[in-house]
Amino acid sequence: MQAQKVQQLFVRYKILALLIAVAIIWVFFHVKTDAAFITPGNLSNLFRQMAITGMLACGMVFVIIAGEIDLSIGSLLGLLGGVVAILTVNEGWGTWPAIGAVLVLGLLLGAFNGFVVTKMRVPSFIVGLGGMLAFRGIVLYITGSSTIAPAPDDLVALGQGFVPVELSRWIGGIIFVAMVAITVRRRMRRSKLGLQQAALWIDIARLVAIGVFIAGFIRMLNDANGIPIPVMILLGLLAVFTYVSTQTVFGRHIYAVGGNMEATRLSGVNVARVKLVVFALMGLMCAFAGIITVARTGSGSPSAGTGGELDAISACFIGGTSMRGGSGTVYGALIGALVMASLDSGMQLMDVDNSWQMIIKGVILVLAVWVDVLSGSNRNA
Amino acid sequence: MSNYLFEMRRIVKEFSGVRALDGIDLAVRPGECVGLCGENGAGKSTLMKVLSGVYPYGTWEGEILVEGKPLKAYSVRDSEDAGVVIIHQELMLVPQLSVAENIFLGNEIRRFGGLMDYDAMYAKAEALLARLKLKDVNVAAPVMNYGGGYQQLFEIAKALAKNARLLILDEPSSSLTSAETDTLLSIIEDLKREGVACVYISHKLDEVARVCDTVTVIRDGRHILTRPMSEMTTQSIITAMVGRDIENLFPKVEHEIGDVVFEARHVTCWDLANPNRKRVDDISFQVRRGEILGIAGLVGAGRTELVSAIFGAYAGRYEAELLLEGTPIKVRTPEQAIKAGLSLVPEDRKRQGIVPLLGVGDNITLATLSHYAHAGQIDRQAELQTVETEIRRLRVKTASPELAIVGLSGGNQQKAVLTKMLLPEPKVLILDEPTRGVDVGSKYDIYKLMFELAAKGVAIIMVSSEMPEVLGVSDRVLVVGEGRLRGDFPSLGLTQEQVLAAAISHAAEGPAHAA
Repeated sequence: MQAQKVQQLFVRYKILALLIAVAIIWVFFHVKTDAAFITPGNLSNLFRQMAITGMLACGMVFVIIAGEIDLSIGSLLGLLGGVVAILTVNEGWGTWPAIGAVLVLGLLLGAFNGFVVTKMRVPSFIVGLGGMLAFRGIVLYITGSSTIAPAPDDLVALGQGFVPVELSRWIGGIIFVAMVAITVRRRMRRSKLGLQQAALWIDIARLVAIGVFIAGFIRMLNDANGIPIPVMILLGLLAVFTYVSTQTVFGRHIYAVGGNMEATRLSGVNVARVKLVVFALMGLMCAFAGIITVARTGSGSPSAGTGGELDAISACFIGGTSMRGGSGTVYGALIGALVMASLDSGMQLMDVDNSWQMIIKGVILVLAVWVDVLSGSNRNA
Repeated sequence: MSNYLFEMRRIVKEFSGVRALDGIDLAVRPGECVGLCGENGAGKSTLMKVLSGVYPYGTWEGEILVEGKPLKAYSVRDSEDAGVVIIHQELMLVPQLSVAENIFLGNEIRRFGGLMDYDAMYAKAEALLARLKLKDVNVAAPVMNYGGGYQQLFEIAKALAKNARLLILDEPSSSLTSAETDTLLSIIEDLKREGVACVYISHKLDEVARVCDTVTVIRDGRHILTRPMSEMTTQSIITAMVGRDIENLFPKVEHEIGDVVFEARHVTCWDLANPNRKRVDDISFQVRRGEILGIAGLVGAGRTELVSAIFGAYAGRYEAELLLEGTPIKVRTPEQAIKAGLSLVPEDRKRQGIVPLLGVGDNITLATLSHYAHAGQIDRQAELQTVETEIRRLRVKTASPELAIVGLSGGNQQKAVLTKMLLPEPKVLILDEPTRGVDVGSKYDIYKLMFELAAKGVAIIMVSSEMPEVLGVSDRVLVVGEGRLRGDFPSLGLTQEQVLAAAISHAAEGPAHAA
């Protein structure tokens, strides 16, 4: 009976199970690397590494919930990164106009993918495969297959800089107060409407956990120069994407389209438009990730983002997104990305051979989804 | 008389503490057909899953006896070896494989080395189909070339190929025309004479009355009665199923019929696969305010295509001129249709009606979500208020509006889908088979709602294959046959025979009218 209760708790609060998995991975590496893993410096690096996969995962989780897939994003990241490098280094554009242009270009290319999928009715798997080749080809062509460097300093600062210590404390405080306010307001509304409430202790425990987590997170990263700017951007995107998925009409329509496209169409929803926007957002996320990639390395490499689509898709599935669409969460996908990044970082610290790194990541991906299927929370996958 | 072929005794099955079956008995003699009746959610499917080995021995309590000896089936295969074969409501055929390949699927006749012995299978398939009096079937042709009626019989052939001694038929006539149902029932009668026993599960009590020797009624997982059919009437079965008397199946409320509110002219739909074939051929009709217009006809006559085209949802090429309150409207997508004031509750609830993983509430507001939103942000309070009101009004049985809709019974799902399409406040409500797979209690609620809506002035177009429903609910009945309008009758005094005659009258020139 007790075991069943625990299982139900995990099914309901899947995030708990995922966080426990992350904790286990961290402790394991910490022990194996003689206490070199859970250090401010290393974790700061880890989060920075995770930021790019995380941005892609934000877009990808919508694509998968809508019942589609996009394999072109690694190449699209490379292309958009290449464009930002060419604009700033070769063409002498200012950093901000170049970023603006690339964001728009990402949105348009994503929308183009979406157009081919929805209006021309080519399966998204094929569109992705085609885009994977074509976008990579374009970036090789426009860069002449060579790395473009050096990126201007203000662009590099976006990838390598930190949020000022004092500012991040303020942001953390504001987020916590907002979480408390949201919880209180939700409880009041639900009691007014006579709806089922989560037990009070669960809500309080949740808030305390969030508070401890935010404080610990900021404190730890402040011990190592502060929160990296890409991580801050990712957290902002997490907030925006979570808001869109849970609070907006468009978000609800994404879940509905993925859950049953025909029923959604017959309910008067323009399903093609929903999917088109989802693909456009995916393109926008590729632009974010491409820009940050260039900023981090200080150069535009024609091979940037290779394999990025697989990392993003793995992150979504580890984070509990359903293969068949219709269910999944943004924060789940980001924790999935954290799992992947932790494995990378830990195994590099342990000096594990690259071949073994790939084998282990592959096995963990399959294992994670298997556990999800076993827990019964993802019966449709 | 107690020489039972199969006997289930005191079956108890629990799902995480909830008793789905609570001590059910069911017994079948050789050559006997037992009708198993109960509302949706009464436990019929669960019981049949116990009997057919879907729930392995040990996951339930009680015992199953085969010719007096206990059967311990750990898989479907085990119970099939004992002679129990279930034919599900949704046919389990692979459309692209041939008739013979389907009949022997999983049970193939092999030659040395695992090669398929096609000659033997074709010969045996033909013999089996001959036993079912099916002629003109090419057993080497893909199953998808044959209609629903044939496919149902292929399923039976498949069961016979496994030497079935007990056939379980779960709603076998739900997608059959009445002629096909007739054939099916007479085949079951033949099989009974050969000593094959049957369990017949159906909401259609006239079929149960015709083919069954014994009736077992269950309700809320409990055994209510088992009696010879000769002692029962359809009315007494309904009373036992519902646990209360439903005086009148159709709670007809007098409603005033006003002016013409909607008109469809020259609706023509072309077949998706065969662009030269017309599925609907130049049908025009009108509906008045507060009128319930029934559309009757055989399955495949083009009724669903007709209403899909009106709603802008037909997948193939189509033409239609629509007028709402005298002004032409342009409808090419469901989105435009809903905006114009039309709503459609589709035929196939699972495929077209519900979004299974979303909550009941989220499903209910899917068509009107923007009503509860400011600048794209959903006002949950407003949304939940509507949802709660509607759930109470239609008596949708759900523990919480946030529960995934897939967990509800068919009747409650249908009510939720109906609510969803009522929230846009349509002027014309189109219902395609509104009570298919719905239990008696929910049916009653749905009819009541239809009459209430009509009294408020909504024009209702109802496609239905259930003749008593068409006659009991409609004010006027259109009969469609082979894509053409074959009749337009006021329902007063109309008989099933008249409707059927119009539906199959090949010779009729132009629409018939009642005298």
